[in-house]
Amino acid sequence: MCTGRLDPAIVAGAFRQGLDGLLTVGCYFGDCHYITGNVQAKAKIDITRKVLKHAGLNEERLAFRQCSSGEASVFVDLVSQFDEKIHSLGPLGGAGDRVKAPEIFKKLETAEAALTSEKIRWVIGKRTPFLETGNIYGEIFTEHEFNRAVEMIIVEETQVQEILGGLKEGARSVKDLAKRLDIPPERVFRYITALQRKNLVALQGVNGRSPVFQLTA
Amino acid sequence: MPDKRENIRIGVFICHCGSNIAGYLDVEELEAFAKTLPNVAFVVRNLYTCSEGGINEIKNAIDEQNLNRVVVASCTPRTHEPLFRSSCAEAGLNPYLFEMVNIRDQCSWVHMREREKGTSKAKDLIRMGVAKAALLEPQEPIISEVHAARALVIGGGIAGMTASIALGDRGYEVVLVEKEERLGGMLNRLNMLGPTMTDAGDMVKEKIETITDHPNITVFTRATVTDVDGFIGNYEVDIETKSGNEKVDIGVIIVATGGRLFVPEGLYGYDGRRVITQLEVEEVLGRGLDPAVKNIVMIQCVGSRNEERPYCARICCQTAVKNAILITEQNPDAKVSILYRDMQMYGVENEEMFRDSKVKGVRFIKYDPARPPRVEEGKVSVFHSLLGREMDLLADLVVLSTPVVPQEDADVTSKILTVPVDENGFFLEGHVKLRPLDFATDGVFLCGSARFPANIRETVAQGLGAASRASIPLSKGFVVVEPIISVLADEDACRGCGLCVALCPYSALEVRDTEKGRKVHVIDVSCKGCGVCAATCYQHALSINSFTDQQINAQIAAFLN
Ligand SMILES: Cc1cc2nc3c(=O)[nH]c(=O)nc-3n(C[C@H](O)[C@H](O)[C@H](O)COP(=O)(O)OP(=O)(O)OC[C@H]3O[C@@H](n4cnc5c(N)ncnc54)[C@H](O)[C@@H]3O)c2cc1C
Repeated sequence: MCTGRLDPAIVAGAFRQGLDGLLTVGCYFGDCHYITGNVQAKAKIDITRKVLKHAGLNEERLAFRQCSSGEASVFVDLVSQFDEKIHSLGPLGGAGDRVKAPEIFKKLETAEAALTSEKIRWVIGKRTPFLETGNIYGEIFTEHEFNRAVEMIIVEETQVQEILGGLKEGARSVKDLAKRLDIPPERVFRYITALQRKNLVALQGVNGRSPVFQLTA
Repeated sequence: MPDKRENIRIGVFICHCGSNIAGYLDVEELEAFAKTLPNVAFVVRNLYTCSEGGINEIKNAIDEQNLNRVVVASCTPRTHEPLFRSSCAEAGLNPYLFEMVNIRDQCSWVHMREREKGTSKAKDLIRMGVAKAALLEPQEPIISEVHAARALVIGGGIAGMTASIALGDRGYEVVLVEKEERLGGMLNRLNMLGPTMTDAGDMVKEKIETITDHPNITVFTRATVTDVDGFIGNYEVDIETKSGNEKVDIGVIIVATGGRLFVPEGLYGYDGRRVITQLEVEEVLGRGLDPAVKNIVMIQCVGSRNEERPYCARICCQTAVKNAILITEQNPDAKVSILYRDMQMYGVENEEMFRDSKVKGVRFIKYDPARPPRVEEGKVSVFHSLLGREMDLLADLVVLSTPVVPQEDADVTSKILTVPVDENGFFLEGHVKLRPLDFATDGVFLCGSARFPANIRETVAQGLGAASRASIPLSKGFVVVEPIISVLADEDACRGCGLCVALCPYSALEVRDTEKGRKVHVIDVSCKGCGVCAATCYQHALSINSFTDQQINAQIAAFLN
């Protein structure tokens, strides 16, 4: 098994359950016993970190570092430094994080859902090919371009998951969702129609002038 | 998922490892704690769980206590997991219903001065192991045939030649690939070989003749390996030779690429004429030393045991003493002084050679690396650190003893074969004591100075050893592959999107048309179980045996609770 086994959703789930820090130590690039498993691990961790940061977690709580199995002292330094860092940040959802407990745990639940979703996992999986061999049109992305696209997808996917989370509690109107989640109504409407096309939500009725949606069974 | 109706009964064996664990952790507390964990039916402590007594205790408990999961909390799975697995199997329990918890290497040895914290961490580790064990499922090993009973040996120095002859003599086909025009490696440039004072040229010549006449050995010189595809028993290897490219089917691979001697550019006035290396003095002695050269000073540890190259290259002291003796033999009134930091003259024959050199008048002067010798016109000044005073030595010739360093293209070889190098750039074996001639990757072996500077006696022993290791899969004709690999656990969920296929580092996945539509298929023997696919699949259709999402999540939950 390799660091490449690290599933972003499992990482988010661990933080949701109260983990304060996660250090992943992989081999150096080119030295991976599983050839490119560590490259995948880094891609996963990097994007997971962005999603968790968006959820309000201090991004330093999730780290990817490298050392070889022959470098005991390097390993000791990595672990000691990370340990110190996490102690200085304190428990999750405290002074070290943008969003505080218990609010942060709710946000992490959404992040976990976003990291389980097709869109973000597809982006993670495509990171290396996009940067190195290009997309299906042969366009190669710079790291900067790729990251900007990722940031956008994270914002959108998080909002989509928040809507789905909101609907879990029962049917809601677009207006109601917009107010509760602090997302502009036209955006909520756009997401909802996309979800409707995927058969994830259905129109239940109309409340005043705002359509009411519910999760499909 | 384990059968819900199955009554999980876990046995936990806590090893003292003599005092390695029990000396630093409160093992009685660990025992009491393990008893409180869910599904745990039996807990016992052993002085050494890996001893015959400990193993019998596991076997008896499986039988008498009706255990269906076994957890051993002890040293490290790297060395002991196979033993405990096979003990379970001997007692009739599927070996994959075993879980190992590392409370020595990753706990007691790390926290030797923190008994309480160490014990508490060991509890966390045991709780996590037990949580995972409850969800373990039985697995069956995968048998893979060795399709090509042929060995590839990379590097035709004494190590590679020895290994090739040994394998050829056992009746296996060998393909020997050498980068240079001629086989022989470093020995082609040496004069007489210590401690036996054999002629290097004779030794090489004899080996080359054996190989050339050998019906089972094919040699490619001025050739390199450019690509290696496949896995143990089933490699496809591309070789670039002077007369075109070759593709060969290979079963096992031996790395014997040797090393090169560090050239001390800019150190001690090195100029290749008056200030030379041990390798250059070998050439000088081969031609015959100029009788006018009377005063020779050798300086040890040049470019080694420093910040950049912290290791001792082991063979430079032997080489210096050998060449000092040869000098005095060629030129009886020559005066040789060896300036050293510590003399590395291990082994009976080397010690004898050391004594012999003193009888022959070779002088040994200990210098302090903080006050290194200074090479000047016609003399070397040195601070004699035992006498505590500065002295000048006449010098017609200065010989610098520099270390053997990794080949310049070692990193290329390392990437082609996906085998690691250590912090000095030498190839890294699977385990120092337990797998000294194997790489961690099955089917690839190593020997000679590719691994670390070695003298010929050691190199030959390693070449024979690597050949012997490599012949195991060749003679068995099959290998048993660990079933800890990827599986399509939920076929219905798979959409055949191919995201995993593109990411698999081993080309072990392919999308196939099935009755249910396009679905991913795992090629068992190619899969190494890295887990990239399972961690990528957004449909959670793929899983890794013994590292399922449920098992990992159970460990995390156990840790956080
Ligand atoms: C100055 C000196 C004096 C020595 N004197 C003695 C002595 O007196 N007694 C003693 O016991 N030992 C002595 N040794 C040590 C001895 O040279 C080594 O033990 C021996 O050479 C190791 O053999 P090897 O096959 O591992 O490596 P090498 O001899 O280095 O051979 C490696 C071979 O692999 C080839 N190769 C490298 N890379 C590739 C590649 N990518 N593809 C294909 N081929 C490749 C090289 O061309 C070379 O032919 C001495 C060493 C030195 C430097």
